[in-house]
Amino acid sequence: MRFLLIIPTVFILVTTVFVLMRATGDPITAALGGKLPPDQLAELIHAAGYDRPIVVQYWEYLTGIFSGDFGTTISDNRPVTEVLTTYGTATLELASYAILVALVLGVPFGMVSGYFRDRLPDAVLRILAILAYATPVFFAGLILKLVFSVWLGWFPVAGRVSTDGEIAMQLAGADSGFMLIDAFKTGDPAVVLDVLSHAALPAIALGLLTAGVFLRLVRTNMIGTLGTGYVDAARSRGVKESRLVRKHAWRPALIPIITVAGMQVAMLLVGAVLTETTFEWRGLGFQLSEYLQARDFVAVQGIVVLMAVVVAVTNFLVDVLAALIDPRVRY
Amino acid sequence: MTSGEITSVGTAGAAPEHVAGRGAWFKKLPVVHQVRQSVGLQRGMLIAGLVLTTVFVLVAVFAPLLAPYGWSQLRSGDGVAFGAQQPPSAEHWFGTTVGGYDVLSRVVWGAQTSLLVVIVAVAASIVVGVLLGLVSGYFGGWLDRVLVVIADAIYAFPSLLLAILLAIVISGGQSSMWGGILAAALSITVVFVPQYFRVVRAEVVRIKAEAFVDSARVLGTGHWRIMTRHVLRNSTRTLPLIVTLNASEAILTLAGLGFLGFGIEPTAAAEWGYDLQRSLADVTSGIWWTALFPGLAIVLAAMGMTLMGESLNDLADPRLRSRARSGQVAGAVAATSVEADASDPENPASAEHSEENPKGGDA
Amino acid sequence: MSAIRGSRRLLAGAAGTAALALVLTACGGGSGDGGSGGGGSAESLVVGTTDKITSLDPAGSYDNGSFAVMNQIYPFLLNTPYGSPDVEPDIAESAEFTSPKEYTVKLKPGLKWANGNDLTSSDVKFTFDRQLAIADENGPSSLLYNLDSVETPDDTTVVFKLKSADDQIFPQILSSPVGPIVDEDVFSADAVTPDQEIVDGKAFAGQYSITSYKANELISYEAYDGYQGILGAAKTPKVAAKYFTDASNLKLEVQDGSVDVALRSLSPTDIEDLRGDDAVKVVDGPGGEIRYITFNFNTQPYGEKQPDADPKKATAVRQAVADLIDREALADQVYKGTYTPLYSFVPDGLTGATEPLKEMYGDGQGGADADAAKKRLDDAGVTTPVELNLQYSNDHYGPSSGDEYALIKDQLEADGLFTVNLQTTEWVQYSKDRTSDVYPAYQLGWFPDYSDADNYLTPFFLKENFLGNHYVNQDVEDMILEQAVTADEAKRTELLGQIQEAEAKDLSTVPYLQGAQVAVTGADVTGVEDTLDASFKVRYAALAKG
Repeated sequence: MRFLLIIPTVFILVTTVFVLMRATGDPITAALGGKLPPDQLAELIHAAGYDRPIVVQYWEYLTGIFSGDFGTTISDNRPVTEVLTTYGTATLELASYAILVALVLGVPFGMVSGYFRDRLPDAVLRILAILAYATPVFFAGLILKLVFSVWLGWFPVAGRVSTDGEIAMQLAGADSGFMLIDAFKTGDPAVVLDVLSHAALPAIALGLLTAGVFLRLVRTNMIGTLGTGYVDAARSRGVKESRLVRKHAWRPALIPIITVAGMQVAMLLVGAVLTETTFEWRGLGFQLSEYLQARDFVAVQGIVVLMAVVVAVTNFLVDVLAALIDPRVRY
Repeated sequence: MTSGEITSVGTAGAAPEHVAGRGAWFKKLPVVHQVRQSVGLQRGMLIAGLVLTTVFVLVAVFAPLLAPYGWSQLRSGDGVAFGAQQPPSAEHWFGTTVGGYDVLSRVVWGAQTSLLVVIVAVAASIVVGVLLGLVSGYFGGWLDRVLVVIADAIYAFPSLLLAILLAIVISGGQSSMWGGILAAALSITVVFVPQYFRVVRAEVVRIKAEAFVDSARVLGTGHWRIMTRHVLRNSTRTLPLIVTLNASEAILTLAGLGFLGFGIEPTAAAEWGYDLQRSLADVTSGIWWTALFPGLAIVLAAMGMTLMGESLNDLADPRLRSRARSGQVAGAVAATSVEADASDPENPASAEHSEENPKGGDA
Repeated sequence: MSAIRGSRRLLAGAAGTAALALVLTACGGGSGDGGSGGGGSAESLVVGTTDKITSLDPAGSYDNGSFAVMNQIYPFLLNTPYGSPDVEPDIAESAEFTSPKEYTVKLKPGLKWANGNDLTSSDVKFTFDRQLAIADENGPSSLLYNLDSVETPDDTTVVFKLKSADDQIFPQILSSPVGPIVDEDVFSADAVTPDQEIVDGKAFAGQYSITSYKANELISYEAYDGYQGILGAAKTPKVAAKYFTDASNLKLEVQDGSVDVALRSLSPTDIEDLRGDDAVKVVDGPGGEIRYITFNFNTQPYGEKQPDADPKKATAVRQAVADLIDREALADQVYKGTYTPLYSFVPDGLTGATEPLKEMYGDGQGGADADAAKKRLDDAGVTTPVELNLQYSNDHYGPSSGDEYALIKDQLEADGLFTVNLQTTEWVQYSKDRTSDVYPAYQLGWFPDYSDADNYLTPFFLKENFLGNHYVNQDVEDMILEQAVTADEAKRTELLGQIQEAEAKDLSTVPYLQGAQVAVTGADVTGVEDTLDASFKVRYAALAKG
């Protein structure tokens, strides 16, 4: 049942984007508006079929999708599937690191915060968490870049790998697009280090945002479970406090974390648009704003469909996972 | 509590922070009860949030008095140009931007733009969300099911992408002040409507099943009246929280739009995201003042709202409420907990909040 | 780590499409001395840019970023030598009019593509035939407006049959974005060819060939020794071009030496900062980009469709704008010298460019003059302040446009002669509005297709022009048409001067800035000066390190 929800979700999003995109102009004017006289522009627009009724174009688009044809981008003439796989991998890599950072920071500190509820460590951690998600990711990125690459010089300014590293990967035939995997394929620790140092700042910038969310969530649920009879019972049996936190209070707190982690995917994708722009990380988010500017209908629609599917599928998986961990969850 | 509560919720929804500055309204506001109710860290957070938000609102309202120059002013009264990228000085406390504007003035005027976005976004979200929630929950049936599916779908939509598209559609591409404000506000509305919708719909569905509705009907009281009255009353606990998240999200989206270059033209209004975007190149050349101040402004404004939202959430959730030193606060707690017919000691809505809040950290 | 493991399926898909079939031969092999190019200089260098490539196929792109790559890898029949805007035979032996409507080009014998195929007249015919056949919406085929057909009497002779006689612009067209010659065995005759097919097919015969290609990220070039054209062999055997999206990242990398040469476009702030940095050199050259305000002759104040229409007053308003704009201030404050004041319609550096606006307006020395403007408006009987709706694009001509127009507004209003209502519109809408008489006065910029004065006159000031601003002046029109068919160079230069003079009185547009080409290089890089010329083509082959 939940799974079927994916279809209307994606359908609604695709339709919205299709209509909105058509309302914002056409790719030909975007590219050549400053070069050609109006009649020549109109001719080109007509030749490309952008002046036909929107319903006709919509139908054409839908039938295309159902036959698995996402088309070729208008502005740079690449198959949409290629764009999606190439840049999707980059975004996936960034998102993976960000989730990792978020978990590593958010979960332990959330537990600490929940345990020391209303005392100093809690106060400090909560303020930091709120700061983390009240700071726009592009401002956080800017500050990180300024401090750690410009002033301290610890990390590279931007990009995913240095030129030397990239060449090494090409020599090794490592072209999965997932830089870390490619780096391992070269077998050169220097390249791996290079890739990791490039990923550090963008991962932190994007991860901090989510870490704040995780922290407060883990804290809330820790407090909730620490107060239940189940933990009290364990405590009365003489279970040590640290073990109590790790074993007993932790597990029930896991479900909301998984749920929220799933919901964070939509947010990560938004954050990725801004992070990728700041750090020169060529992923879907970055490409999306480029294609939007060029009014490349085909490319934007392709990317949005992918994003919608990813979000919907993650939400579905989260529900399944939650049900597996705790059968009482009613989905 | 009297029906006065209901009206105050309406106003609070439109702009709680805006009204918070005026004494007459102050005591009736839900937020005030919560300040009294809170203790320790929670009280500190709530008050810090209130202070930041009040400062933000005051700066926005009194921008014409506070800002030393206009937001698009390039030369002082005697006709001498400010010059671009001047470091902070006596004439320009925060320096000047790459375009030759006074940074302090643009930060101050930027608060006004942000506040307008917040007001429009929150007002629109509440009206649409509450209305749809009432209709959906009350009538049920296929309409209800369709609306729920749509709400779920929108939930997954990247709000910033929507904002960009809307920015172009709404303004016909013109980067005017209201074009930018409406684009940011309405795209946030679209994303937040499902949240109000869910809360209100859940209340309606629950109350519809309550016995007193039947008895009220026997007494000849209209259904709608009962619904709006009870639903809104019960939502006072949840709505302020969503409002604060809604507000901070609106600020961040406006800034995100400006940062990506889909925002407001600098001579039309001051906007922090735009200034931040224009200062990107300055940062690498050691010019820090053009980026720092608008960036801090965004962070502080969003943080004020978020702090308020966080502590309101804690206070609404009995498990999270700081344990008060015995009976001292008990009275206050009882006073705030809403109508007896609605209050469930375990607070069914609270689990839902904690899942919804994360949306607030967007952008 | 589950997210990473779960991604493998996605990766498998990526591996197939994003594969770089070509292994970089020795590009990673460090920088040994004494390659085939310049003695003693480094084996390789890294160029950085914020350009964007839309397609490597000359039929599929009409933008600066793609053309910049094409200039390294494809041969041209005619091309501009280093330091000059005027064209000469490149891979051709000779090129001339053999009759008024026939332009004959003779290729050098024995030319080869990098893949070993012969480069013959049949490739040339194929190149131009496919441009006209594909006529892609993103392509430059409109530049071939005067080409009727191409004939190939033998393997080294190409005859272009033209529609109108004595077209002096045609040789320039052959060096423009429509001019790169492509390999008929690799390219498709009726569709835009994907980049990867071009790279895999090694369809290169310019100074460099591409050894590996990652769209808009990294291109590795290797000198092609089969190139026998006018530009000579590349000085550096291997060049890597790195593509940036954010200029400040490019700035930091050129500063720390990971990029040797930073080309288009660093921000004005960055360039000013780098001028004070001893580790790098900032090199300026003339640029082909111009900025101007266009007036709509129907809707501007006192325009033809206005209730108070009066051509004299309308002209006075335009002239007063020309008086009031302080070009030095714009160039310095907004662009920190990366743009320079422009006093004509044809930018400085091109053959035939003059500076009529310098004397005619403002203080007569290039500065602004409010008194002159006031006198002009008073004499024409214009009531001040004149209300002017001024539009600019905030997303098409770079992020500084906002500052540029805020300053122009400020300059026009400073002495109370104008009240400017400044507005900005996103580019697509802007393009539609400006030709539908919505904007009385608006910002435009122009990037040339070829480095000839004609490209700054014909598209603008003929009756049918791309501005669509209802400007008509028969004298100007006649002179423009005449210069295009005047073979005598001295006479043509004189005509160009007269056109600029006449146009400076009419001011259909008010030009005010010319973009400079600025490159930032490491201290040990040489040769940039040679290629930052008025041809506006940057050749990596001129660059050397050490």
